[in-house]
Amino acid sequence: MSKVIEFVKGPWYIAVYTWREGLRRKTLVGFLILSLLVIFGATFMTSFLNQATVGDVTTDMDLKLIKDICVTTISIFGVLITIFISASVVPVEVENRIIYTVLSKPVRRFQYLLGKFLGAQLIIIMNLCLMGGLFFVALYIKQRILPTLLLWSVFLTYFEFLIVSALTFAVACASSSSVLPTIAGLFIYITGSLTEYLKDVYNRSGQTGEFLDSLIGYLAYILWNILPNLQRFSLKTQIVNSQPNDPPTDVLIPQLVLYALIYAVSGYIIAYWIFRKREV
Amino acid sequence: MNERVINLFLLIFLILTFVLGSIQGRRIEFIRDCEKFYRWLQAVGTQVRLFEKSESKDDSTNKYVDLQLFAKTAEIAMQMLMNNEEVAREIAPSKSPSENLSDLIGNMAYDYIIWEVVTSPSIKDVRNEFFKCLREGKIQYGREIGYAEAQASGVNIFNLFFGFRKIAAGLIWLEVDRYWHQGLLYRMVPLMRTCVALDPNFVEAYLIGAWHLAYNATAKLPDTPQHLKKWSQKYNACLGEKETFYYLGIDFLKRGIRHNPREYRLYFDLGFAIYKNKLNDYQNAVKYLTEAVKVPHERWVRRQLYICLELNGEYEKALEGWQDYMKRFPDNPVAPRFILRNQGKIYEEKAKTLLAEASKENSTEEREKKISLAKEYKQKAREIWGKLRDEENDPYGDYRLLFMEAMDLYEEGRYLEAVAVLDKARWESPSNFDEASDMIIKIKQEGGIPLTVSERKAVLRKAEGEKCQGMPEEPLAINKT
Repeated sequence: MSKVIEFVKGPWYIAVYTWREGLRRKTLVGFLILSLLVIFGATFMTSFLNQATVGDVTTDMDLKLIKDICVTTISIFGVLITIFISASVVPVEVENRIIYTVLSKPVRRFQYLLGKFLGAQLIIIMNLCLMGGLFFVALYIKQRILPTLLLWSVFLTYFEFLIVSALTFAVACASSSSVLPTIAGLFIYITGSLTEYLKDVYNRSGQTGEFLDSLIGYLAYILWNILPNLQRFSLKTQIVNSQPNDPPTDVLIPQLVLYALIYAVSGYIIAYWIFRKREV
Repeated sequence: MNERVINLFLLIFLILTFVLGSIQGRRIEFIRDCEKFYRWLQAVGTQVRLFEKSESKDDSTNKYVDLQLFAKTAEIAMQMLMNNEEVAREIAPSKSPSENLSDLIGNMAYDYIIWEVVTSPSIKDVRNEFFKCLREGKIQYGREIGYAEAQASGVNIFNLFFGFRKIAAGLIWLEVDRYWHQGLLYRMVPLMRTCVALDPNFVEAYLIGAWHLAYNATAKLPDTPQHLKKWSQKYNACLGEKETFYYLGIDFLKRGIRHNPREYRLYFDLGFAIYKNKLNDYQNAVKYLTEAVKVPHERWVRRQLYICLELNGEYEKALEGWQDYMKRFPDNPVAPRFILRNQGKIYEEKAKTLLAEASKENSTEEREKKISLAKEYKQKAREIWGKLRDEENDPYGDYRLLFMEAMDLYEEGRYLEAVAVLDKARWESPSNFDEASDMIIKIKQEGGIPLTVSERKAVLRKAEGEKCQGMPEEPLAINKT
């Protein structure tokens, strides 16, 4: 037991240290302030709309707009924060040569990476909690009912970010500067959101009967199966305006969480594989 | 450990995670496919249960196979559900499988059971056929169902990023709102449709859209005289300019209901705001308000249902409803008033029925018995109306007392006095003005009393009947409900 605690202790200290470092990053704070401003501003934007009464029903059009704007804002700024933090936690330490000091201690590379990865996740979770919290309060003030479905939406958003974070982290482990992994992170997010296109390519292939056409189709199909598909997390936008106790939603949420965890492990394995060969 | 072994181990582990990811991805894909099928089933189930009988078909709907596919699904589903004791009780052998399935879909309690049917391997063939038809554009009610739309019309870049589609719908709605404030109603309609096409779950758009159509667009329009109205095959009704907007509002709300069958506000607006308030069609108002109370709703929805039941002449049901409401919310100030109203109406109706039966009765003894019982009921009704007037301060009580008095005078052949009492009654309760006026005309005609100019006009309007341009001889060939 003490060995396990000893093993976990190292990554945990590194994670806490990474988290503290992350809080000092001006870019992240900037993104966070911007997102909070947009979420806060969404309530003003909807004041241009007049509340309309249909029969006895007061329709909350502005509530719907606030929900959509806030979920989108959390997605955009959240993914930017995720990419920036995941792309920089390791390269910055390589650039500043802090990594040499850390690795000279009785910490294995596996533990170091785990600590860094967990630290990045702590920052992402904290940012999501801040954005989601403000959104939660804004919604509660408007509708006077606890918006529990929003929590599920934010929860799913985190797991979508987890995939992007893990894969960006893997690229970051191969780089000594954070610029390349940041670009790669954006690329991962865009391609991850476009994986659904590959299915479309597969569905349309084979129409000419040419070998190359069919080959491209099969290739697209294999890639569609292997690559993480972030479009599957679009449930997060659907869920905020839907009704509770919806069978497909209830079934999808745990499946999506498992899906994200599997790809997060893949990302971490790639990161470790690259990092253990790296000369530092 | 040997470097190669570690590399091999990592490689195997990596491949394993990707394989697991792929398997999990396929599982999610399967659930999403089932979700499309499930949403489509809900839409068609709602259509079959609520709208199908009241809508006429045109050639444009022939290319769609929704109903055939639904029937096929229903047959398999019924075979599966027969083994489920809880559901089997709900299945009526006299109804077709489609009707039974649509009834089950209409009940929220069976959502998870329907989901089990949708995901079951037994229904795989129909599910595949659905996707084939969806790709071929043969599915009418699958076009706007979230993912299904993205699948059917190809992948859309806006669909993929950040859920921009919903934001776009919101921004378009801001434009609709701008047009509304500028009074450009005709520009609003296509934009409203775009809004709900982008986001079929945008319930507020359906609600406000229908409100604009049924209320605001028609606010300054004059009433079209009956003979100038045109017959609409689609709606099975005579339409003037106002009515055209009402029915556009109805269509808009029905579209919303198909996509959001668990949203009480849509049923409520259809039943209360349009059918009750605009078309005075209490039968349909009751139908949709009954649907509204089947899903989670606000407490005032029930009140409107009971009021519509009363207006539709279903006093027993209305009374039962109000009594139940009173038990749930004892502090409600209006329930006692409506309980009295319905009790009074029930007694009056009973008396009326007994008198009608008595007039056909051959045996004098039986006739006397029935007349005496009718008098008893009338007395009870009078007591209730008195209570309503004195305890609840409801002018309706006074009106009913006067009305009953006028009817007694009329039965005794004292027409002039009956007319005088009815004239007083109609001013006591303006909401019942038409009922009293109609009775005055009837009594005057029967008693040979000259009609006023406005009464003569009313008689002429009635003589023209409900006919409008292009109206077939048997317009009610389609069940209106």
